[in-house]
Parts: sequence; structure tokens; C-alpha cells
Amino acid sequence: MRLRVVAAASVCAALTLGAAAASAMPARLASPSAAQATTLRVWLQVDAQQNWEGAVKAASNKFEASHSGVEVKVEYQTWNEHLTKFDAALAGSNAPDVIELGNTEMTKYMAAGAFADITSSKRSIPNSSTWLQGLTDSATYKGKLYGVPYYAGARGVIYRTDQFRAAGIKKVPNSLDRYEAALTKLQAKFGKDRRYSALYFPGQYWLASMSFVYDYGGKIAEFKGGKWKGTLDSPQAIQALTRLKKIVRSYSKANKTGDEANPAQALVFGKGKVGSIIANGWEWGYALNKDTGNPSLEDKIGAFPMPSHTPGKFMPTFLGGSDLAIPVTSRNKQLAIDWLKEFTGTDLMRYMATVGKVLPNTTSLASVHKTNKQVAPFARAASSSWFVPAAANWVNVENKRIIRNMLVRIFSNRGGVASEAKKASQAITTELNRSS
Amino acid sequence: MSHAPAASATAAAEPVALPARRRRRLGVRVSRAAVPYLLLAPAVAVIVAVLAYPLYLLGSLSFQQYGLFELIRHDGRWVGLDNYRTILSDSLFVDVLVRTVVFTAVCVSLTMLFGTLIALLLARLGPFMRLLLTSGLVVVWAMPVVVAVNIWIWMFDFEFGVVNYVLTELHIGDYVHHDWFENSTTGLAIIAAIVIWGAIPFVAITLFAGLTQVPRELLEAAALDGAGPMRIFRDITLPILKPIFIILASLSIIWDFQVFNQVWIARGGQPTEEYFLMAVYAFVESFKTQQYGLGAAIAVVMVAIMLVVTFFYIREMVRIGEVKR
Repeated sequence: MRLRVVAAASVCAALTLGAAAASAMPARLASPSAAQATTLRVWLQVDAQQNWEGAVKAASNKFEASHSGVEVKVEYQTWNEHLTKFDAALAGSNAPDVIELGNTEMTKYMAAGAFADITSSKRSIPNSSTWLQGLTDSATYKGKLYGVPYYAGARGVIYRTDQFRAAGIKKVPNSLDRYEAALTKLQAKFGKDRRYSALYFPGQYWLASMSFVYDYGGKIAEFKGGKWKGTLDSPQAIQALTRLKKIVRSYSKANKTGDEANPAQALVFGKGKVGSIIANGWEWGYALNKDTGNPSLEDKIGAFPMPSHTPGKFMPTFLGGSDLAIPVTSRNKQLAIDWLKEFTGTDLMRYMATVGKVLPNTTSLASVHKTNKQVAPFARAASSSWFVPAAANWVNVENKRIIRNMLVRIFSNRGGVASEAKKASQAITTELNRSS
Repeated sequence: MSHAPAASATAAAEPVALPARRRRRLGVRVSRAAVPYLLLAPAVAVIVAVLAYPLYLLGSLSFQQYGLFELIRHDGRWVGLDNYRTILSDSLFVDVLVRTVVFTAVCVSLTMLFGTLIALLLARLGPFMRLLLTSGLVVVWAMPVVVAVNIWIWMFDFEFGVVNYVLTELHIGDYVHHDWFENSTTGLAIIAAIVIWGAIPFVAITLFAGLTQVPRELLEAAALDGAGPMRIFRDITLPILKPIFIILASLSIIWDFQVFNQVWIARGGQPTEEYFLMAVYAFVESFKTQQYGLGAAIAVVMVAIMLVVTFFYIREMVRIGEVKR
């Protein structure tokens, strides 16, 4: 049966993708199973490689020292491809022993039975009693634990303190109106350069866009009477999207069909023709990176939580993050748990939080950020957050790019806000109610 | 293949009373008849293994509910024609089908047009220029798709693209921060240009080879009778090259109908719906939303459409064979 799926998947690929893609798929599927007892295969996202590779190395070294004969092999994955690769690996039974998944990606896999139930080991994992509730929830399905919280991230506004000062903005804006007024001043002061954006906001930046929707009391979808219903066409959501459209079209010169990762918005920010971006805490460091960014901005960057349209409040931020799970196919489940214990131990968590500027998986480390001006604003922003609908099929909405598609059409003026929101809501309803 | 041994069994069972000569002749006839089948057997075995069996699997997958749940258990659920019903009632499928047909039509006609023009040019060039042009065509033909698409996309880049720069510097318009992919029609036009650019060499070189077979006397005679170049092309070159044209057009349709890489790479691995062509759509359905059964059904529909085109292709191939005989 396994062979049949592999063959069918590869013919599917061969018939539809042409030779190049077809030869890539079976090669991946057919690569020799690395599940010899001596190798522990770990899939982490590139964020770890870029921001806290030291923690990964330290965990593996300590683990290898106490487990002689076991070698840890870490393979870094990209967000765009990792699920497709993981599915292929599951079909071919050469899935890794530990995999990092975004918290929005967990539900579908937990519901399908892709991960090992680790409820009984929970207590032996460091800080499990003080894990962030939001992350623990994303790794729990029907009362059982299928993943270890890894780290969280919240978005805030990263801005150029020097530009704000030069434009005569004296106080950090505490409402959306004030922020917009600040953007107007920035644009007036620096807008002579046609490439300047007071707020750099790429058209497909859906996580930041949905914050507006939740701020105005809207939702992406709701569960009523046993069925999901897309609600981006609610009056609140339409009001929010209309406001956002005006802001994007007035103050952003970013590509309306692009996203915040290509090119990385922090790098564009580092180039200097940007007044502010809505970004994760770690992007601050990325903007200053001596190889890819602009270290000379060191003293010219600040951050504040994105203000709400209700004065004095914060706009809800998407509580992003990752969990670490053990695929049900792993033959080294106990070793995997041992490695996870090392990797998510208190010391390495502190390292990731301070060096990588992420929110650690445990509230017991919350104090490490209090005094850090690069992280504190994001930790504060996280006090008001939203999360994607808890539907098993949610990840399909992301993978079919329904919301991105809607935003691109709205921002580039190719469709009215109301009609595009309605179309997207219908598509979301269909996806979330699909069986399986 | 199967009746060969049966025939020899009958031969062996013939009464001994038959004259020896006749028996021998029958034996020769039987083994003669078996030879072609024996020679064909390896090829048939390979085709069954690498084409027929996977096609059968694809077909059977298209009748199953095969999602993530089934993938992990390596076990699908039979749902009959449900997958086909789902895609045929999906308005997106119809949109994608129409878009793919239009895209293919544009790509194939422009490929054929430019390919023909370049072939005619090749026929008139001197040896040095012809070598230069042929080398250029071969280089384009040899360039890997991934490399080619990325270079094209860099040229049309939003922030740093050379096209925007040049158009602005030449004062053709204000192309600072011009997004070529904001409007999917221009976006698909650029993608079509990449496809056509990559397809022209094969058509041009093949047609040039065909042109060398057009008898020179015919062309000279027509010219003496006062026919202009257009007339000569229409009444002499075109009819002679017609079979080659049909074969090239069928092949181009088959290739352009399943364009995937150009779209996928040009849109950074995340095309929005307006950029879905059939192959992209099938990939997103199967591998991005993990509905392998549904994706298989789309692939089967694609195969069915391609079979129609292939029919014309093969008919033309057979006709050429007949003419030669």
C-alpha cells in the first residue's frame, strides 16, 4: 500500500508538474530511511539556524554526551515547503523523529493522528507547569498533549526614532488615529523620495491585516450550530479592511502582491527608506544584522505595541509561535523526548529569548524581557492577542492563500472591499467544513 | 504475445501423418510470427511498469478519499465519482480550465509564429550568422528552467528590476515601483513570454531542418513564374511542411498545457488563484491542501484532454510513415 501511494503521488507529480518537479518528489520519497537507532533526525525551521543555532548545538552536544552512540542530525526547513516535505516523508515512512510546526499548523496533523501522544511524559519536560497557555492549547487535541511549546512571537511596530523626531512626532502614538497622524507627518517630511514608505506594508501581509479585523470586533470565522462560517464579510471586518486599505494605499510603497518575507521587510527597513514596519521582535535584530542588515541604525530604532482604534488600548496581535512534535512513525520516541528536554530546558530557553529575541515558552522566564528595550514592547503587545480559528482544516485556508488573495485584490483596487470579503468568507466556509 | 505459444502447441499436436515438408513450413511460420512479439516484449514490459501501472494507480487514487488521515495510515477510502463531481462543480476549476486553454493557445500560436520566422531567417543567412543564431538558440534550449525563470523575474523585479529602470530612464513612463504582477493579465503575459522564449529554439531548429527539404527547383520555378515570397510560402513551403507544423503544434500544446515551473517560480512558490493554471491547481489541491484523491482526479481530467491532442499527433505521425512508404 505504501508503495502504491508513493507511485501514485509520483505519477500525479509527473503528469502535472513536468520532469523537474517529478524527479524531485520521488527522490525525496525514496531517500533511504534514516531511522537507524543511532540517528535522531530533527526538523527545525530556518529561524533557529538564523537566530539561535547556538542553542540547537548545545542541546545536541549535551544529548549526545549522555546518549553514547546516538547522533543528532538537524535539518533546517523553510516555512513554504516543510509541510509538503513532511507529507512526502510520512507517505514514504522516513519522517523525522522531531518536527517543528507553526502553532496554526498543529490542529490538522493532531486530528489526523500524525503525532505521538506525549501526555504521560509532560511532567518530566522542563517548565511544563508554566508553559504559555496559548502554545499549550495549540499542542493539545481532545485533552491529549501532542507537542512541546517551543517559542512564541508577537508583533509590534518597529520604527525609526530619528525620523519620528525629525517629523515632529514627540510621543509614541497611543491610538490608531494618532499613529495615522504620525504617518501623515512622516510622509510629508520624507515623501519627496518616491520610494519612501511611512509604513511598509506588503499586500499579502495577512497576519498584520487580520489584527485590524479583530481590533474592530471582527473575526475570520466562527463556529455555530455545528458548522464553521467565514465572517470576513461582517460589518466590523469590512470597516477594518476599509481602514487598512486606506492606510496601505496612502503610506506604503511596498509591493502589493508581495509578502513580508520576500524580500524580508526588516532588510527593506534597514535600507533606510522606511519609517515603520509591523514586525516580530526578532526582526529588530535582523534589521541590524552586520551581514544582511544595517548596523548603523543601532541607536535609531525603537518599538511600541500597535495601538488600537480605541485610544489607550493595544491592537490584538497574532500570537504566533511554534511547537515541537514527535511523528507517530518515529522509532526513537523516547530519545526524541530526551532531546526535547535538553532543547527546551530553562538555560537554552533563556538563551533563545535573549539572543533570538523571542518570547520563551514559559512564564517563569517572563522577567528576562522586562528590562530589554528590544523585547519588552513585544511582550507587552502579547497581552492582547488573537489566534486562528480552531478548525481541523484551518491550515487549508492558509495553504490555499484565501486571505492573501483577498488582500491583494483589495489593496490593488481590483475588487471592492465588500465583494472580495464576501468571496473570501465563502471560500473559508467551504474549506473549514470539508470532511477529513 | 500470448497466442504464439498456443500456436506452436497446435503445431506440435498436428497428426504425424502430415507430410514432413508441410510440417516444417508451418513451424517456420509460427516462429516467424512470434519473433516480432518477442522483440516487442521488453519494451511492452517497461511501458507497463513505468506508465500503465502508475496510470492505473492514479486512476484508482482519483476514486478515493485520500487526505492526511489516509496518508498516515496508508489506506484510502473508496468514494466512487465524488472527486470528479467536486471538481466539475467547482467554479474555480472551470475558470482555471478556460485560463489554461487561452494561455496554451497564446503560447502555442506565438511560439509557432516566431519559430517559423526564425527558421525562415536561418534559411537565408550566411554560414557564420547562421552558426551564431543557431548557437544562441541552443543555449536558450539548454538553459535550465529554474535559472531562466529566476533571471527573467529579476529583470521584472518590483524594487530593483532592470526593466523598470530602463523604461523610466528612457522616459517611456514612470515605472518606479511598478508591479508587473499586480495585474494577473500582464503577469501571465510575462510568464507566457518566458514559456515562448524557452520553446522557440526547438520549433525554429526543427522547422529549419524541414525547410532544407523543400526542393529548390520548386521555389525557383515559382519565382520565375512571378510569385512573391508570401505566395511562395503559402503555396509551396507551407503545404510541404504541413506535417511538421502539425507535429510541432501538437507537441507545443501538450507542453504548454501543463506549464508549472514558470508559474510556480515566478510567483515565489505561492501563486494566488488568478495565476492558477491546470498543473498549478492540481498541485495546490493535492500537495498544499492534502487532498490527493481530488488532485488525482484533476490530473486524470488533464490526461483525458491531452489524449485528444495526442490523437492528432499520432495520426499525423502515422500519415508521415505512409507517405514515405
